[in-house]
Amino acid sequence: MSAPAFLGAGLHTALGAGVARNIDALFQPLPHPVLQEIKTPEESVGAPALLLHGRPLENIEARFWEAAEAVVGEAIEAAGLTREQVREAALVLGTSSLDIAVSEAIYARELAEGEDAYPLTSNSTMGRLAQRLRQAHGVRGPEYTICTACTASANALIYANMLVATGRVRHAIVVGVEIFNIITALGFQSLELLSPHGMKPFDSKRAGLTLGESCAALIVGASSKRGAFHLRGSANLCDIFGISAANPDGSTVADVIRMALEDAGLAPEQIDGIKAHGTASLLNDEAEAAGMRLVFPKLPPVCALKPFIGHTFGACGVTELILFCGMAERGYFPATPGICAEPSDLDIRLPQTPQALAPGVFQLNFFGFGGNNTSLVIANAD
Amino acid sequence: MPIEITVRAHGDYYAPVEGAPPDVRELSKQTLGKQVRRVGRFIQLALIGAARCVGTETPPAHTGIYMSSRRGDLETNLEVLEQFFKHGHTPKPLNFINTVSNASCYYVARHFGLHGRSCFVTGVCFSFEMALQAALLDMQAGVVRSALVGGLDTVAAPLEIDRRRLGLNAQTPVGEASHWLWLEARAPAPGETTLEAVEAFADRDALAAWLKQQSFAPEKTLLAEGQYLDPADARALRGETALTRAFAYRESLAYYDGQAGAALGAYRATADLDGTALAHINGDAEGRFAAIVARRSA
Repeated sequence: MSAPAFLGAGLHTALGAGVARNIDALFQPLPHPVLQEIKTPEESVGAPALLLHGRPLENIEARFWEAAEAVVGEAIEAAGLTREQVREAALVLGTSSLDIAVSEAIYARELAEGEDAYPLTSNSTMGRLAQRLRQAHGVRGPEYTICTACTASANALIYANMLVATGRVRHAIVVGVEIFNIITALGFQSLELLSPHGMKPFDSKRAGLTLGESCAALIVGASSKRGAFHLRGSANLCDIFGISAANPDGSTVADVIRMALEDAGLAPEQIDGIKAHGTASLLNDEAEAAGMRLVFPKLPPVCALKPFIGHTFGACGVTELILFCGMAERGYFPATPGICAEPSDLDIRLPQTPQALAPGVFQLNFFGFGGNNTSLVIANAD
Repeated sequence: MPIEITVRAHGDYYAPVEGAPPDVRELSKQTLGKQVRRVGRFIQLALIGAARCVGTETPPAHTGIYMSSRRGDLETNLEVLEQFFKHGHTPKPLNFINTVSNASCYYVARHFGLHGRSCFVTGVCFSFEMALQAALLDMQAGVVRSALVGGLDTVAAPLEIDRRRLGLNAQTPVGEASHWLWLEARAPAPGETTLEAVEAFADRDALAAWLKQQSFAPEKTLLAEGQYLDPADARALRGETALTRAFAYRESLAYYDGQAGAALGAYRATADLDGTALAHINGDAEGRFAAIVARRSA
């Protein structure tokens, strides 16, 4: 039987709608976050965000569903799946905030109309988003919604890959969705984790994150094509050091990186590049840098993609994977100009211009609230 | 040789709810031996169910946690939404962090000192089945050798509004439950239950074809009808499979979403079933199906 590989993708982020536009934009200067004003009775809060390109925060319900449904369509088309193949496919969604943006809009409208309103009366079923995406495209296979905060869609890929590898389905559609919502914006504001000046992961001037939006979809299916990107190994572990931060000594980050390498049957020196999680928060970058140092005697090139798209939370797994693979397929390792040009206090340096990249084996790391740590090893070479 | 998955233990919390949802802090303290502070009822109930499942045992540190719920920690999410949209208060940091669904997995892992897999799975009708399938996939792949799989559904006050959310009429009894299984990748001892399969099907034809392949002996197989299975589909399945021995486990339960989570515990707790299989079939309104197959070793 052929091994599962990545057959096609769809993507909409702050960089653009469509995978090609997103990859083009990774060669351009970093975008600037825009402050989204949220009014409370006492004050007006400006939440820095990188919203979906071409989609202002208007008509929230239509905006949400149209963007999410479109990327699944783009991925299906890119993979060339037939209607019958789509029907039998699994849909595995990873998200942190589900369709709460829609529920917020409905609740706010009901309150404004003077109704005796209660939240989540229009929908309290967490599976509605996946159900609606599945129904919109005629998918009838297994459906999972995985909610593990910022690792959600990376974990979704792990299970999608297993569903294909075990022969339960021929294709799986991995989806990541994260759309701006007020509770998430105010929650991160209350944690003092937002930075209005953009994300600077591992940089001495790192000061927090930018809220990012993304709808992303990836088709996983059996392929005998040589050189296609595929998931070679993975690991997910629970870090009980703290609910909102990894152990700063790096030990739990190192554990999940090592386990993914072991699952892939690789030694650290065989990794050609790392896509770091890089949330630009003081403690999490410290833990991630320490974890990488514990595993890699000589650190391979490291990149971070959140400066381009913001932190897309539950969607960042599949979103950043699509961006990384897209760059690699064009023969480049991503760069973040102006960020971490020199080794920082964490002794990490990020490329300043896209670097030529041969096919190889790469590690992508993701860490989330709830102590959820995930590492993926992907390859487009043996 | 395929990896066998044995159900080492199960544990449940179940209570019908009338009026206000119960305060479970004292029960949590009694069950866990200590008070878990600054968490809501959802997380308390997750801990109670998991603690009842493992009893006096200590799961190995590499044990994975798989939790499922159709609505997650509804009370915490309602509180945060009402506080801002109705009263203008921004979320408190810990309240916000506890809105992430896998916070419950974290607290269970922390209580038992676990650092294995951690996964929260939800779905419209098959939340528990998909969480169980995720555990089965990991165990059959050899990635996980011990797993706690939980299904948890709670209600929120006021109940008349929550019944509206659930699409229930005012007379329908509602309840809360936290069902847990402890799975181990090992061969069963005599009388122990093994988890053989968890599968999803696009339509009834696919389910029927799969059931036919399983070669169930009707006299040694119990058929359990899941919560969302259409009665017409249930009748058709009984006719097509000749599985006429019913396993009824839901009759006395008030409404809550993840009743499938109760099935294996109830089967495991039923005497005189050695050598008997359980086929649990659930369905959704779209004509899709999910099956769980377990067997009591002779």
